Amino acid sequence: MYLFISPWIIGFLVFALYPILSSLYFSFTDYDIIHPPEFIGLANYREMFQNELFWQSVRVTLKFTFISVPVQLLLALGFALLLNQKIPLRGFFRTAMYFPSMVSGVAMSLLWYWIFNPQIGLFNYMLSWFGIRGPAWLMDPDTALYALIIMTFWTAGSGMILFLAGLQGVPSSLVEAARLDGAGRFKIFVHVVLPMISPVLLFQLIMGIIDSFQVFTQAYVMTQGGPNYSTWFYVYNLYTSAFKEYRAGYSSALAWVLLIAVMLCTALIMKLSNRFVHYEGGGRR
Amino acid sequence: MSTVRTAAERGRPSFETPGARKPDTVKIVSFLLLLATTFTMLLPLFFMVSTSLKSSREMLKFPPTFIPETWSFGNYLEIFDTLQFGTLYKNSLIVAAMSVLGTLISSALVAYGFARYRGRGNNIWFMLLLSTMMLPYPAIMVPQFILFSKLQWIDTFLPLIVPAFFGSAYNIFLLRQFFLTLPDDLFDAGRMDGCSELRIWYKIALPLSGPALATVAIFAFIYSWNDLLTPVLYLSSSEHFTLPIGMSSLTSSRFRIPPWHLLMVASVLAMVPIVTLFAVAQKQFVEGIVLTGIKS
Amino acid sequence: MNIRRRRKGIVGMILILVAAMALSGCAGGKSAADTAPGGGETDSGGGGQVTITHYTIDSPDRTFIEQLVPEFEKQHPNIKVKVEKAPYEQFDSKLQTLIAGGNSPDVTSHYGYGGFAEYYNKGMLLDLTDLMKEDGFDAATYSIPKELMEIYKVNEQTYGIPVNIYVTLMMYNKDMFDAAGLPYPPSDYEDKSWTFDKMVEYAKQMTVVSDDIAKTQYGVDFAWSERDMKPLYFGAEPYSKDTWTNGGVPSETYFDSPEVIAAYNKLFDLIFKEKVSPTSEWSKSVAGQNGDPFVAGKIGMTVGGSWILAGSNDFPFKVGVAAVPWGGNDKVRSNLFVDPLMILKDSKHPKEAFEWIKYLLTDEIQEKSIELSGGNPPVNTKAAEAYYKHFEGIEPEDVKKVIEGSTKYGFESYNHLVVHYSQINDMFINEMQPIETGHKTVEEVMPVIQKKVTEILNR
Repeated sequence: MYLFISPWIIGFLVFALYPILSSLYFSFTDYDIIHPPEFIGLANYREMFQNELFWQSVRVTLKFTFISVPVQLLLALGFALLLNQKIPLRGFFRTAMYFPSMVSGVAMSLLWYWIFNPQIGLFNYMLSWFGIRGPAWLMDPDTALYALIIMTFWTAGSGMILFLAGLQGVPSSLVEAARLDGAGRFKIFVHVVLPMISPVLLFQLIMGIIDSFQVFTQAYVMTQGGPNYSTWFYVYNLYTSAFKEYRAGYSSALAWVLLIAVMLCTALIMKLSNRFVHYEGGGRR
Repeated sequence: MSTVRTAAERGRPSFETPGARKPDTVKIVSFLLLLATTFTMLLPLFFMVSTSLKSSREMLKFPPTFIPETWSFGNYLEIFDTLQFGTLYKNSLIVAAMSVLGTLISSALVAYGFARYRGRGNNIWFMLLLSTMMLPYPAIMVPQFILFSKLQWIDTFLPLIVPAFFGSAYNIFLLRQFFLTLPDDLFDAGRMDGCSELRIWYKIALPLSGPALATVAIFAFIYSWNDLLTPVLYLSSSEHFTLPIGMSSLTSSRFRIPPWHLLMVASVLAMVPIVTLFAVAQKQFVEGIVLTGIKS
Repeated sequence: MNIRRRRKGIVGMILILVAAMALSGCAGGKSAADTAPGGGETDSGGGGQVTITHYTIDSPDRTFIEQLVPEFEKQHPNIKVKVEKAPYEQFDSKLQTLIAGGNSPDVTSHYGYGGFAEYYNKGMLLDLTDLMKEDGFDAATYSIPKELMEIYKVNEQTYGIPVNIYVTLMMYNKDMFDAAGLPYPPSDYEDKSWTFDKMVEYAKQMTVVSDDIAKTQYGVDFAWSERDMKPLYFGAEPYSKDTWTNGGVPSETYFDSPEVIAAYNKLFDLIFKEKVSPTSEWSKSVAGQNGDPFVAGKIGMTVGGSWILAGSNDFPFKVGVAAVPWGGNDKVRSNLFVDPLMILKDSKHPKEAFEWIKYLLTDEIQEKSIELSGGNPPVNTKAAEAYYKHFEGIEPEDVKKVIEGSTKYGFESYNHLVVHYSQINDMFINEMQPIETGHKTVEEVMPVIQKKVTEILNR
């Protein structure tokens, strides 16, 4: 086994271990990046829990995660199932769905800024077809976070191709057998297909959580954490502390709290998943 | 933009969504649903292309025009004057290609190790692997920079490429999940034939993971292709710059109106390799895996 | 077989690694050691060659200095200049990382979100006083006005030498003035009839508010300065005086004082009471995130930074420049945004870096820079004559009057002078947002801001 995972272990020891341990050390120091760090014990951690902006960033991030991750998973799975049928233009649809995930950062934020433009944006224009007067989206503290959540749905295509790859691994013989037994469409999906792709589902769930706990770029480029702190994400807060406030020590402490939180979350999901996730192989040795 | 042709009828049995047999209402509804969704999804991209063809003066118009009043195809040449577009493109291609190669080989190897063997130490290593993804990049930026500058790798592509050859956590995890879905019987059969584990990996596991490997290749490519922060930190001479650096330099002036039309040109051209790669990889999703002949 | 396979695998890995190194090696050309900033082989004392690094923003109006390097290197055969650059959004994080990694650049300016005070306060800057004395540096040689040299002095020590100067000015849309039958506003700062109230009066005659967004236009967009500095326009000072002499640490702030509150109210009245100015939501809708609705031809007069001049040739309407009207403060009517060149403390070759700075300030180079940069305003008053003529369709005489008047009645922008500024600014943007949308009053918000500014400054 170690033969197989040795490349990663070497990489880990050489490239990851030192930065990770340094950041752990920095989290116990007062460090402004310019001058050498100074040990101050748990002061950074103590300050964090009294800091208003810290709690705001936790609220924003959790809300974002709880909404965007499940919806994005459902959308991706839905598209994958639709596109796993033999229907006309299948290749075109797959490509079109995936297209948005190919657009690079700067262009993406520019496009979405335009889409959410309250006066002339695409989004409110489309809402007006149904007689709905859309909100100011990114410029309104009540809707800015939702705008960023909606934006993540546009890139559901990348989850879709993961599910497609997973669906390709479901042996047709199994489905055939179930069908011969007289199982309906829904039953086959729940009892045959879903268990077979559950490892992929688990992967996407965990990665979705890790990713959305680390949302940064949208907040940095599009909203600068505003308006009125409504998109003050955890990692935006962390970045601001490090590079705008010159407080690398405090920001390392933030990073470690995040690490521990995500770790607990992941461990919990993994534990629960043992009951639901179906592994065909998994060489128990 | 090229449409990816599917070889829908390749004659190989592959799994379809249940009920797909009857050309029934489900299919018609699906088709219409897909049509509506793709239409909305492609609208912004349409805007992107049309903007790339506008003149700089038309960019200032309010409300903005949907179709360019005058078609400025010259924008697609101008970008080569404004930015050293050729150099940027070449550098990005080199870095992305090497990263994909490294990621594919190392991640597939490591993921197989994690999927096939479940010892006591395994779980700890696996949690460690996941934890490397949980520390946000800004937190390790400075120590990592110190490390790479001690290795004298500043202003080379090495910091962008070499780590990929030691496996990327995300892709290892992804491939591990796929390897876990493969039936044990397959590997037992291989072992009975006297194959070494590496040979089983190479001869049995990899060929069955086509779609997953294709996915990893696409993800690794996009990740490297669009990465901005790492190249900005490690590259210092313009002849080594990558595409995202060049593109963000277009909007970097605090004192000038950014040339949005040129940015859109760059964005359109930047999508070409990804679309091509996706078109090639699509075959993997279409063909599917046939596991007939093996009892489950 | 087992073993052979395994060996093949490892050999394969090594081969790939070697290939990777070779590839990047050939793309890299030089090894990192040659190009490392400040990596000159001999110390500045010896006659050997020295490399200095100039760190700047990766955009054409900054990177043009690369074209100035060959001439300088010809004149100074022992100095090589390397221009290192980063996009705006990454400017600060890269600078900090470079310094932490022991790769500090030699020369830079405050091009990121932190201003001079931040850099000074963190001890990142080299005290230039001795270098200047030793060199016999005289600002007059470079036609730099004396007052400008004072801006980046702390406790009588100089930490930065001005290279460019932007000011706050008024730009107006001639087409809109003509349509409303109004006379153009004056460019002369001594014209006493040109007041804030008169501006509002003009603005009313140009404002059209309609349901059709394409028809809506506003008379004036009065940005003037960063949010915390605006009260100064009406004569109210939010920071204590010592801030300007001690390196930017205010001993007291007065954001909840009646004068400051009155000043903000007067400005927000333009939007909500007089209704001659757009809301920020409208502006962003029309012009995009960092855009300016004036450029879209929807604003009669705009009062903001002089960088707006640079794009004026492309505007689809005729423009003119005018003085900032008098608003009750006899000393200050404009902001200055003076960019200094600074030497970083970790520079290994400060002397050579200083040579490079002096070179950039000479009459010839300052004049050449205007053209190469596409219109950066020089501090050198001789070169400035060329700057006044740089803008098509705008009277050079007007530009000259406006810039000289602004400099006379100008105060350096707070964002360069107050510590922790990027934090203060972020806080202002977020806390003031409810006022801008009309959800809260100035009276409700200012005490909160006062409290938060104090917290930030006490950190």
